[in-house]
Amino acid sequence: MLKIHNLHKTFKSTKILDGISLEVEKSRIFGLAGPSGSGKSTLLRCIQQLEVPDCGFLECGGKTGFMFQDFQLFPHMTVLENLLYATKFVDKKSNDKKESKKNHMHLAQNMLKKLSIEEKAGIYPRSLSGGQKQRVALARSLMIDPDIFLCDEPTSGLDVATIQDVVQLLKSVNEVGVTMIIASHDLDFLTKISDRIVLLKEGRIAVDIDVRQQPDPAAYLKRFYAASS
Amino acid sequence: MEKFLANSIYIGRGLGFVLQLLGGGFLIGIIVGLLLSIFRYRKASVFLVERFVSVIRGTPLILQLSFIYFSIPGICGIKMGVLSAGIIAFGINSSAYVSEILRSGIESLPKGQFEAAQTLGIPKYYMWKDIILPQVITNVLPALVNEIIALLKETALIAIIGGMDIMRRSQIIAAEQFEYFTPLCIAGVYYYFLVLLIELVGKKIEKKQSDVKNP
Repeated sequence: MLKIHNLHKTFKSTKILDGISLEVEKSRIFGLAGPSGSGKSTLLRCIQQLEVPDCGFLECGGKTGFMFQDFQLFPHMTVLENLLYATKFVDKKSNDKKESKKNHMHLAQNMLKKLSIEEKAGIYPRSLSGGQKQRVALARSLMIDPDIFLCDEPTSGLDVATIQDVVQLLKSVNEVGVTMIIASHDLDFLTKISDRIVLLKEGRIAVDIDVRQQPDPAAYLKRFYAASS
Repeated sequence: MEKFLANSIYIGRGLGFVLQLLGGGFLIGIIVGLLLSIFRYRKASVFLVERFVSVIRGTPLILQLSFIYFSIPGICGIKMGVLSAGIIAFGINSSAYVSEILRSGIESLPKGQFEAAQTLGIPKYYMWKDIILPQVITNVLPALVNEIIALLKETALIAIIGGMDIMRRSQIIAAEQFEYFTPLCIAGVYYYFLVLLIELVGKKIEKKQSDVKNP
């Protein structure tokens, strides 16, 4: 689904990514761990083409969706408008505009219902709580029907109960076949959700583990965390 | 009293002319200013845009107005009426200020808003039209209202190329009747009334926008 080979990225003479190579299989949940400044976000941003790598090879086998750490909802649009706006450009070529508009409306309402925020449809983002904003951001990035879903620090600033909801939510997205790449510094969260975790350290891959084959992956990764900081 | 009324009506007949100058000038100002600010944000022709803004802000408006009315016809033979010369001069002048206002508004938006639009596959034109500019305009509305008020007061300069606006009409009355106090007061009241009206409309729009966001 995603192939990366020897990716490098430098910002003002600071090496952020220093030769990253990895492959992500379809429909897997792939965790990207590492302390802050280890290059997790930059790697995600390179995959999303928000950053141009200095050199290396990156092949992405499908449309990507991206969820920002600070959500970046459009503040002047209601929740429903946030969801619907991007779909205007999804199937531009479709002949029956009315029909596709109706479908998108249906999809958006279903999505809000599934995330139990349907009563917030007409509300502006500034009156939502952090957890609600995140659900809207998740719904919005899923509206364009991505094959790969990139998620930057989805649990930052959320309480324990909400994090549990996020795990369920992301898992349910994965169940319909969407490949996920999740960057987070929260190892407990990552081990709960991922099939495979890569730990980045100073722009390089320090460990690459299959979560199911490790008896206690969080503790195992924490050892590397300590060693890397 | 009869004289006062007649004078007021005579001076007030300049209102339409002032409003034409203001409306036309600000329309050009906002369109050109918008293009300049987007050029500058996208780092296209930055040098030219910066020089333009610097020269316009660095020379007196009275000079720009005279230049367009008196010297352009001499250079390229295009004859302009007082109204068109005024609209062009005020429009160009205003565009420099509007572009700076909008630029600061664009730069104060989080970069993530541009990136969010990009990740959702929203085409550039629609990103500016539906995502970026509505937020920018809301944020800079008070500054834009200030700019309209400044422009309104500057239209009084049209008198130097013979435009029959409120100011010029009051001067004519004063010269005819050897009395400055009343006609100038009448002109002042007209201008101040217009400013109050602009402020009122600006506040209405601001309130409407904040009501939408804080229901």
